[in-house]
Amino acid sequence: MSGVSARSLAKGSAPPGPVPEGLIRVYSMRFCPFAERTLLVLKAKGIRHEVININLKNKPEWFFKKNPLGLVPVLENSKGQLIYESAITCEYLDEAYSGKKLLPEDPYEKACQKMIFELFSKVPSLVTSFLRRQNKEDCSGLKEELHREFSKLEEVLTNKKTAFFGGNSLSMIDYLIWPWLERLEALELNECVDHTPKLKLWMAAMRKDPTVSAVLIDVKAHKGFIDLYLQNSPEACDYGL
Amino acid sequence: MSGDATKALGKGSSAPGPVPEGLIRIYSMRFCPYSHRTRLVLKAKGIRHEIVNINLRNKPEWYYTKHPLGQIPVLETSQCQLIYESVIACEYLDDAYPGRKLFPCDPYERARQKMLSELFCKILDYQNTTFFGGDCISMIDYLLWPWFERLDVYGIADCVSHTPALRLWIASMKQDPTVCALLTDKSIFQGYLSLYFQNNPNAFDFGLC
Repeated sequence: MSGVSARSLAKGSAPPGPVPEGLIRVYSMRFCPFAERTLLVLKAKGIRHEVININLKNKPEWFFKKNPLGLVPVLENSKGQLIYESAITCEYLDEAYSGKKLLPEDPYEKACQKMIFELFSKVPSLVTSFLRRQNKEDCSGLKEELHREFSKLEEVLTNKKTAFFGGNSLSMIDYLIWPWLERLEALELNECVDHTPKLKLWMAAMRKDPTVSAVLIDVKAHKGFIDLYLQNSPEACDYGL
Repeated sequence: MSGDATKALGKGSSAPGPVPEGLIRIYSMRFCPYSHRTRLVLKAKGIRHEIVNINLRNKPEWYYTKHPLGQIPVLETSQCQLIYESVIACEYLDDAYPGRKLFPCDPYERARQKMLSELFCKILDYQNTTFFGGDCISMIDYLLWPWFERLDVYGIADCVSHTPALRLWIASMKQDPTVCALLTDKSIFQGYLSLYFQNNPNAFDFGLC
C-alpha cells in the first residue's frame, strides 16, 4: 500500500488529486495513535488504500478542506466523501467494506464494545499530559491515574474471562485501544500495567497478531519522534526517514 | 407503557424487579437532556418501555448495580442486559428494534451523522435541508434536540437570533409528533431549575401531584 513510509506534506505543498476508483485514501501521520487505529482496520480488513502523511507541526493549508479541525486521521474516497474522528473512520470502514466484520452484529455485543471504549476514553489525554509534563516529579499523580484507568480495563477482562476485549478473538475494540498500550514502553510507563496481569497478557497477545505487528513502530523510533515533537520540530513527523 | 410522570426513586427505595418480557426499561430523570435523547428514540420507534426516574441528588444504593457511577440514562432489558451512555443507548435501540430506522442505511451518511454529533458544540455548519439528516427527521435531530428545547428555559434563546436556519429547524422540530409528545412545559422546567439550584431534593419531582 503506497505512502505509509512517505515524507509528510507540509505548508506550501500542492493538494493531492482525487482518489482513484477502487482505493480509499487515509490522511495520516506515522506516529499518531489515533491514525494508527484506522491503519489497523484498513490492514485487518485487507482494504486497498493509499496513505498521505501530514506534517502536523506545519500543516498544509489545503488540509483544512479535508477536516476543518485539521486533525488526522481523515478518510477520503473516490466520491470525494470525507470522514474524520478516528473511531468514526473505523466504524465506517467496517460497515462500508465486506469481509471480516470487526464489530459484532449483535446489537447488545456492539453496545458492549462501545461501553468499553468509553471506559478507555480518559487514557489518550492522560498519556498526552504525561508526554507534555515539564517537570519529571509531576508524573506520579498521572501514573496513579493511568494505573486506575488500566484497572478498569483489567476488570473487564476479569469479568469476561476472555483473552481479548470482545471475546476470544481480536475485534474492533482491541484495535481501538492498542495504540496507547503500544506506546507505554517508549514513554517508560510499563510500570502502569504492573498490577494488571490480564492486560499485560493481552498486550503480549496483541503483539502476536499479524495486523498489529505489520503496523508496529519500534521503541527507538517512537522515542526519536517524541523528542523532536516536544521541541516542536517540523522534522518530528518524518523522524527516521 | 408507563408515563414519565412518576416520582424519582431515592435512597432507601426498593430496587425495581426484573424487566418484564416484551418491555425495555429506562432509568431516567424528567429534566435530564441526555435521557431525553433516549426517550425521544424510544418514542419515535414506538418501543414499548417503562420509565424509572432516579433522584440524582439522593441516589438509591441499588442504582450503582445498574451504573457504576450512578449516571443516567441506562437501559435494562428483560435479559438483564445494561446499556449506558446516551448515544450508545440510542444506537442500540435503533439496531435492536425493527421499524423505522433513525440512522441512515448508507455508511457514509451514518458516519456524517456521527461526525455532526461530535462537532455539535463547535460547528453549526450544515447543508440546506430542513433537518440535519435531510428532508426528514432522523437520529441526529433527536440527539441534538434536548439542548435546543432548553435554550428558552435557560433564558438564552437569543443565541439563535442570528441563525435563521437553526430557528427554522427548531420550529420544524416542534411540529414533530415525537418531540411534541415529550415537550416539557416551560414553567415546569423553570420550577425544577429553581429548586435544583437551591439543592432541594424535591427538585426532581417538581410538577408531580
